[in-house]
Amino acid sequence: PKRKRKENEVEQEIEETPQEKKLRLAKLYLEQLREEGEWDVDRTLFLSEILVAPDPIEIRLLRGHKLSVTCLCITPDEKHIFSASKDCSIIKWDVGSGKKVHKILGGRKGTEARHVGHTAHILCMAISSDGKYLATGDMNKLIMIWEAATCKHLYKFTGHKDAVSGLAFRRGTHDLYSASHDRSVKVWNVDENAYVETLFGHQDVITALDCLGRERCVTAGGRDRTLRVWKIAEETQLVFHGHEGSIDCVQLINEEHMVSGGDDGCLCVWSVGKKKPVSVVKQAHGVHGNAGLKEPCWVSSVAALHNSDTVASGSHNAMVQLWKCGQGFRGLDPLFTIPVTGFVNSLKFSTSGKFLVAGVGQEHRLGRWWRVKDAKNGLYIIPLKRQNREAETEQ
Amino acid sequence: MPRPSVCLALSTSEKKQTAQKHKPSPESPHEVTFKKSKIKSPVTKRASNVEENGSDDEGDASEMEKNFALLTQKVSLQAPQDEISGGVSDEDVTGERHQAVCSNTSGSDEDENVSKPARGHGVGDELCPKDDFTKDLSEMSFEKVLQLQNKMGTKAYKKIAYGTMKNRQTGETVKQLSKHRPQEISAKKTVPFLRKVVPVKKTILRDPRFDDLSGEFKPEVFNQTYKFINEIRQREAEMVKKKMKKVKSNIKREELKYLLQRMENQERGRQRQEQYRQKDLQFKRKQRELVQQGHRPFYLKKSDKKKLELAEKYSQLKKGGKLENFLSKKRKRNAIKDRRRMPHQKK
Repeated sequence: PKRKRKENEVEQEIEETPQEKKLRLAKLYLEQLREEGEWDVDRTLFLSEILVAPDPIEIRLLRGHKLSVTCLCITPDEKHIFSASKDCSIIKWDVGSGKKVHKILGGRKGTEARHVGHTAHILCMAISSDGKYLATGDMNKLIMIWEAATCKHLYKFTGHKDAVSGLAFRRGTHDLYSASHDRSVKVWNVDENAYVETLFGHQDVITALDCLGRERCVTAGGRDRTLRVWKIAEETQLVFHGHEGSIDCVQLINEEHMVSGGDDGCLCVWSVGKKKPVSVVKQAHGVHGNAGLKEPCWVSSVAALHNSDTVASGSHNAMVQLWKCGQGFRGLDPLFTIPVTGFVNSLKFSTSGKFLVAGVGQEHRLGRWWRVKDAKNGLYIIPLKRQNREAETEQ
Repeated sequence: MPRPSVCLALSTSEKKQTAQKHKPSPESPHEVTFKKSKIKSPVTKRASNVEENGSDDEGDASEMEKNFALLTQKVSLQAPQDEISGGVSDEDVTGERHQAVCSNTSGSDEDENVSKPARGHGVGDELCPKDDFTKDLSEMSFEKVLQLQNKMGTKAYKKIAYGTMKNRQTGETVKQLSKHRPQEISAKKTVPFLRKVVPVKKTILRDPRFDDLSGEFKPEVFNQTYKFINEIRQREAEMVKKKMKKVKSNIKREELKYLLQRMENQERGRQRQEQYRQKDLQFKRKQRELVQQGHRPFYLKKSDKKKLELAEKYSQLKKGGKLENFLSKKRKRNAIKDRRRMPHQKK
């Protein structure tokens, strides 16, 4: 990939500060909307009070991966799900029928040169908001770009110095943000197959990354116990402290709030304006271990329904817990649990909130500390029912 | 006059340009600092406000401003302005007009607010002329600015141009918020490989002899606070004596003897120092009393001081009865020295 700066900023003679640029873009966007006559309705009408626990019969299990599922992503049109596992394969599933549409096989270690696909554990995945590109990152420091519709291999991004652990596309664009175990965050432009820039700041391995529509992303830095929000245009970062153990997963709820889970069992909700978490739930998934050596269960994945107050967290205590955020995100109340055996390595809500997908495996996605023998490696599709049909909004 | 026409040309060209940072074609490069919004009615304000400044303390500066005003008024005659009625530099008229204009300036001219963010918001009329003055400063040519500075004096000029410390407001509310906000730092600095896990404090080495923290040496204070050391010294001298009695080898006894000798000499030296200090103090007290009474203080020469000391020594010896002894010894010593210095006689 070529290395070049974004052309927009260079072409204009007038130099703008990032704030001015934001203002200009926002005005443009508003003008466009006014012209079209549409106004995107804020989907905060999703009240989690009305969410109902599904029947265990309705939960579907999609099996096909040989080893633990490590990550997954749902296409924006909610028709397909991509999932990747420790056997280095990527499978595209059809949600309606539950069948495999496409499978990209994983290669053996050492066959990087001739194999089209990954040859090491795939740690993260992201799909662009228009459903065009799929990006996957593995432990061999590579980021592969695929065409989502046909699963054709497009590009390979090299540049990271250690395993790639987080990927996210910025909504509405083809800007890809990647985080890696080499403690750096890199910005790529997929359209032009180009690397844009690198950001530094984390002091330990970065374990997760998430991004919404703004030109900023949030990363969880494992053992340095900080969450960082990167303002990419201004080249600054906001540092948040508050976890006691390593932070393992993070998701943005809306542009101002995010939820994170750590290996101390804590589930924290953060606001961008405060350096400490707005609400904390300790031992969110209970404890495990022998008597006298009880340790909190690691929260291995979190998911948040966009622009609502519903949060889901998964660990290895055989259940996926759904939470409701209180007023102003100040509290976290448990709603209900869904029985799922194994390590819940990845959780994603569908964009409209109709279902929740959990990627489950016998082992934790980052290592082999434990192995849950009676767990099945696969995807659980959990439909979310609502009591009140009127509260649903059309998209 | 060439100057006014140049002003006009610049102001019209300024309107066409959108970007602020582009400089207009420099026919006279020092005229470049014209600002955009001043195109509206720059001339009126300058003319009227400049007259106002005549009432300031800097009388010399006002003379220059009057010259400037004359220049600008010639421009105003040509420019199509509604506000100016006549081009006559009548102080009273312009003074009145200034009041009206001043209220306009605070509201309409956004540029003022941009360029002077440090001004207090409770703006009275007294702040107005200052703002206008700084505006004028930016419009004057550099040469004129230097002349102004020379006449006013650098201090006064800086005070007006940059404002005093009182004017600059500190945002109290912003400070409160920043305590809870997350830290914002640069994202471009590479992080060192080794992480700071535990904060380690670097021990600062200071020598109290040369450190400013220790303050000045005052013997009285020192002796008072460290009195206990004298007791320790006495104890140590006794210990050495005891050890000397016990010790069997001759070499060690010699060493201990020397050590004891040393300690005793040091002690005697310290006592002597103390005595001298006391004497000096007494002398100074006497002098102070004399001064208080009204006499002039007198200071002894070194030789006089020595004579006094000798006299005191003799009186003390006499009391003790050792005067004869001392004097005979002294005569012997002197005799030996004199004999050495005498020239030899060859036989």
